[in-house]
Amino acid sequence: MKEISHYGPSLCSKFHEKLVYVGYGSSIHVYDYHTGDIINECNIFHRNKVHHIRICTAGYALICGMKSFSVVKLDDLMSCSEVLNNERVIAECIISGEFSYECTQLYLLTCYNEVMVIDFQGKIISRNSVYGERSLLYSGSIKVMSKDEVYVNAGTVMGGVLIWNLFTAHMMHNLVGHIGSIFHVTLSDDGGFVASCSDDRSIRLWDFKTGSELSIGWGHTARIWQLKFFNDNKNLISISEDCTCRVWSISTHSEAKIELVQRNVFEVHLTKNAWSIDVHDGDMIAVSTGNDGRIKLTDLQLASRHGDEQECFSVQDISRSTGTKFENGEIIKGFQWYEFGLVAVTSLGNILTYTTNNGWRFQMNNTKFISYCYVNGVSDENVAVFSNNSGHIMMLKFNDDAEDVIAKSEYHASELSKTNNCMVCKYGSSHFLILLESPNPKDVFLCLIVNSATLAIEEKIPYSKPHNFSSSCVEVYQDNVLVGSRYSTLAIYSLKSGSNPYVVRRINPGDTTTSIKYIETVGGKAIFSVTNRDGYYNFIKINFNLDLHEQDTPVTVIHSNKIVRGFLEHAYMDSSGDYIIHGFKSNLFYIYNETKGYEITSEACGGAHRQWRLSSTSDGWILVYIKASNIFFRRFHKRAIPETLRDGIHGREIRDIAIKKDKMYNKGYLFCTGSEDTSIKLCHFAKDSGRVTTFWTQRKHVSGLQRCAFINEDLFISSSAREELLLWEVDTESLERPFMNLRQVLPTSTTNPDLRIMDFSVQFIENNVGFILAAVYSDSAIKAWFFDMRNSTFHLLLDGKYETCCMLNVCLVQYQENLYVVTTPTDGHLVFYNISNCIPFKIKNQSVELISDEVQILSSALPNFDLKLPVHQSGIKALAHAIDSSGRLKFYTGGDDNAIGICTMTIEESTGKIEGHISAFKPNGAASTITSCGLIDQGKFLVTTSVDQLVKVWDISKDKISLEKSQYVTVADTGSSDSITTEDGSTTLLIGGVGLSIFQVPCE
Amino acid sequence: MGKSSKDKRDLYYRKAKEEGYRARSAFKLLQLNDQFHFLDDPNLKRVVDLCAAPGSWSQVLSRKLFEGQKDVEGRKIVAVDLQKMSPIDHVTTIQADITHPKTLNRILELFGNEKADFVCSDGAPDVTGLHDLDEYIQQQLIMSALQLTCCVLKRNGTFIAKIFRGRDIDMLYSQLGYLFDKIVCAKPRSSRGTSMEAFIVCLSYNPPQDWEPKLDINQSTEQFFEKIPSLNGISELSIDDQSHTKAQLPSWSLEERSIAEFMSCGGLDSFDSDATYHIDADDSRQRESLDPVQSPTNPPYKEALELKRRGKLTRAI
Ligand SMILES: C[S@@+](CC[C@H](N)C(=O)[O-])C[C@H]1O[C@@H](n2cnc3c(N)ncnc32)[C@H](O)[C@@H]1O
Repeated sequence: MKEISHYGPSLCSKFHEKLVYVGYGSSIHVYDYHTGDIINECNIFHRNKVHHIRICTAGYALICGMKSFSVVKLDDLMSCSEVLNNERVIAECIISGEFSYECTQLYLLTCYNEVMVIDFQGKIISRNSVYGERSLLYSGSIKVMSKDEVYVNAGTVMGGVLIWNLFTAHMMHNLVGHIGSIFHVTLSDDGGFVASCSDDRSIRLWDFKTGSELSIGWGHTARIWQLKFFNDNKNLISISEDCTCRVWSISTHSEAKIELVQRNVFEVHLTKNAWSIDVHDGDMIAVSTGNDGRIKLTDLQLASRHGDEQECFSVQDISRSTGTKFENGEIIKGFQWYEFGLVAVTSLGNILTYTTNNGWRFQMNNTKFISYCYVNGVSDENVAVFSNNSGHIMMLKFNDDAEDVIAKSEYHASELSKTNNCMVCKYGSSHFLILLESPNPKDVFLCLIVNSATLAIEEKIPYSKPHNFSSSCVEVYQDNVLVGSRYSTLAIYSLKSGSNPYVVRRINPGDTTTSIKYIETVGGKAIFSVTNRDGYYNFIKINFNLDLHEQDTPVTVIHSNKIVRGFLEHAYMDSSGDYIIHGFKSNLFYIYNETKGYEITSEACGGAHRQWRLSSTSDGWILVYIKASNIFFRRFHKRAIPETLRDGIHGREIRDIAIKKDKMYNKGYLFCTGSEDTSIKLCHFAKDSGRVTTFWTQRKHVSGLQRCAFINEDLFISSSAREELLLWEVDTESLERPFMNLRQVLPTSTTNPDLRIMDFSVQFIENNVGFILAAVYSDSAIKAWFFDMRNSTFHLLLDGKYETCCMLNVCLVQYQENLYVVTTPTDGHLVFYNISNCIPFKIKNQSVELISDEVQILSSALPNFDLKLPVHQSGIKALAHAIDSSGRLKFYTGGDDNAIGICTMTIEESTGKIEGHISAFKPNGAASTITSCGLIDQGKFLVTTSVDQLVKVWDISKDKISLEKSQYVTVADTGSSDSITTEDGSTTLLIGGVGLSIFQVPCE
Repeated sequence: MGKSSKDKRDLYYRKAKEEGYRARSAFKLLQLNDQFHFLDDPNLKRVVDLCAAPGSWSQVLSRKLFEGQKDVEGRKIVAVDLQKMSPIDHVTTIQADITHPKTLNRILELFGNEKADFVCSDGAPDVTGLHDLDEYIQQQLIMSALQLTCCVLKRNGTFIAKIFRGRDIDMLYSQLGYLFDKIVCAKPRSSRGTSMEAFIVCLSYNPPQDWEPKLDINQSTEQFFEKIPSLNGISELSIDDQSHTKAQLPSWSLEERSIAEFMSCGGLDSFDSDATYHIDADDSRQRESLDPVQSPTNPPYKEALELKRRGKLTRAI
């Protein structure tokens, strides 16, 4: 059994020259952070995770993790796949380590506040501590100032920070002021400051000489795990459980008051916990790592690296540089960005241009556009379109440096009584469209086709306007115009037929549609992304091959989701297939990578109510906005360095994993993970490398996930607390990315549900008319439902309770013309209910069929159980079943009591009742709770995972449970697994917990 | 979540309030006792409750040792915690860190020359979310408790402690096996099945004959146990050289491990702490929400919460 990939917590990171060394599980990853290339993965420890890395000038790294440490040549780190022979252990956990001044010795600070001085061969030279100060430490660091000046900074649980001199073992300071355990303490390189953080969520800056407290930094909303001085000790950076890293300045302008001031906040990791931070002083780049397994690079000069990021002009500035006088109260009313710069119009109809080379310039005045004017345009044609509220339009085409207007045309749309929206969109390579809308519902929706070179209107199409329609965005695909509107509505117009639009209403629960974007064409159908200001986004599939009006469902929603928070204004797929969105949250404008789940950039522009526009440039984006009647240009340059070195997975525990096993997808398989963080991720793993790609993070659940499973080729179910059970439809037609849409939600028993749906199981009805769903709940309830595929509804069939204890697992098992609900409550029993006679279906030996086409749904009480078999001492956490070669039904169980059981069931002929016995039982199958089990290799072997972080493969042939293989996994809180055996006989095993590991099990 | 909905979910929480216990943890001790009867011994006199706040175990002990008892001569309960505890009848409380050797010294002083009959520890550190570190610190709390136990517990006495059944728990089982005749891993029904929590019940204290436990305030817990070679994974360090210099640190090897017997306690008829219970609408006494007996302690981040509440921690700079 071999681990082929791992994604999970990373606890330390360190820049050294042009590389960054990152502790990842029990390995170190070495990256060239300029290119993002991984140079090597080197396994350092047998089991312990890497917690700490130091690098010395002599070319060695000191790596520590719990009781283990290792001294490794940097050359070896860069080339060897493992250096396990270097691992040495001490009796206590190592809190921190450091090289001596001359790089000849090591100092290891233990969690009992002792420093071991050790040579490179692992011989102890001395053990130093302060007399009587041997309580447990949560944190600490060692600062080597010179050959004989070494300070130990120890963070205690209750007694604040202790600073002592290593060689004299003399305590210099006991810094008190924090409340609670100290989580990090560090001394600045110049020996001037000490910085510490604790459970109180504050950062404190102390004077190293006097030990006095200089300043307190508040800002983080959760615990802070690491601090680092940088930029010649003028700045401090902190990383926290709140998933942000924050930059602080240490202002020393007056000797009397030294202050820690928060300067910047970066959201860097997912859901919970970011552990480490380091800064490359030369490049001003930070690297951070967290529980989510992401290695994130942050540009600490995000708004100043190029020097032109921010520009601001007041009306006076513009007036001065154009030489035109602005009237009192004259403001900028609209603008559009081009490669050369900006075209803007003022409230008095003055049209201005701005270019980087020549600054502002007055172009002309047009009194039609006084006080009311939209500006739109086609950026790559240098065309600007001005419109007012009474149907007047003016089009201008500029040359490439905006010196001259090379074409101009005006038009009055007399068809409309008024205009309240004008949208412009490119159409083919030589035309663009102008869409004019009137607030009057009787008016037409006017479409003008304009020649981009001459600005001549070549065609006017007066479309009818749907009722309850108020246009907000547009996209052109071939000869179709897709217009988004309020009420989450979409109208599709054909430029060829000119017929009535095809209207799709209420695509999601939000209101204003903010963008429609063509994504790709699959199987002759076009896929579009549709966003809604309220945060929803959807993907829709449209079949344009036939007249939309003549199809049953020409438009299908194939994906639905909602962003974490804030307003959503626009989205597109970037060249690497990541879904990039932008919008506002409170007073911030943000650009976010929705696929990977990180913020790309943000700007505190004041909020969404301002006039603003984001345009892409050759080198990124530019946000133009008006704030306090000044115009701001905020350029976001494409980053020279990658955003991440590794993309992680969930920030919290993975509670369940489900592989989509029916077919391969891009040389691997699709799978879903359900996490404590309440989200479901739809991912892919490559079969050979184990490389994981995340496509989507679904956020429909509001409570931590319990279970998830694919129930056939395109349906997937997830369940969680608050009685949530969701049925999803997965669309895998596109090989670029799969999609996943919510199809139905299981009805809840009350309006304020507080039950957990612990597990579910399904049995399909012949001919795909639907399926039976059995679900078990935390209040001992057991319910069975019929899902009718034809109208997508759940109907309750059976409802009952076991006792009062929580139910952990359920499976629907068809066995010899009977259908059983088999459950495992927390009391360690296997409980069998025969529901064959209580449901309106015929149970055949191989199938379950409809009795008649009309399903008669009468919900009834769950029958009494047929059998209750005591197997474990406490809860059965893991359950699998199979029918063996001699036709006996077998159950495989793993318990909270560390045991593994096999039960063999038969049906007693005379009574027709199920009977069974424990045919094998292994009391100490693991050292702690067995959390998942699964059969592999056609049922010859059972794989178990347990909280002791071991995966075991058991030979279960001949009713025996004998250990075949045992393998340590780095994933803590090991709680879920799934496996797939491919045609070559090898099995790929996915193991989830705090992180995800993928193993390859060769065939026997 | 409102208070009443927490009541509804958690019957032990309600029951604790009804019976005047400060925490639902009381039932863990009671259910352990139902199985092992260590508190039912009439000769039980002196007990130590480590990591005791808010104090429900101390309450159980106080009731068992003193309530309705005639002869209470020489009975003593010492309770220790990092947190301040409000007074409990017949219980001497100390606010201190049990990992600090000086704390153990203070407890020993309270016992003078007498031995204790029973030591328990329900200690749980503030979890960081780093599983290996959290489990290690948890084990260190147990080792500190065990260190004290070795100094005060009489031969054949009982020691129980909260454990997290994580990756190295079998190492702890194996170490405890050298000091006690019988080790059981017990899971009371009142402890959530979804948590890694369980209790190690160590019966019949029986340390190696030739080992004289001696507390030295300048030694760490590990060093205390180094003197029992078998208990310490790293025997090379146990050479009697005081300075331990020139000792070669060993390479990695898998520590000795063993799995303790598992026992579920509390009986299947007791409440299941994983279940959601429905409150009987007719039972008005049950329906009304009870006030917690002990108001929650001040968290270390109280000031941060206050600043956040006043909008001082927003992101915009
Ligand atoms: C689960 S509570 C104990 C509950 C208690 N048994 C009761 O029934 O009320 C765990 C306690 O361990 C304490 N603790 C954790 N680390 C400690 C340490 N190093 N020294 C003393 N107490 C500690 C915590 O302060 C906390 O009050």
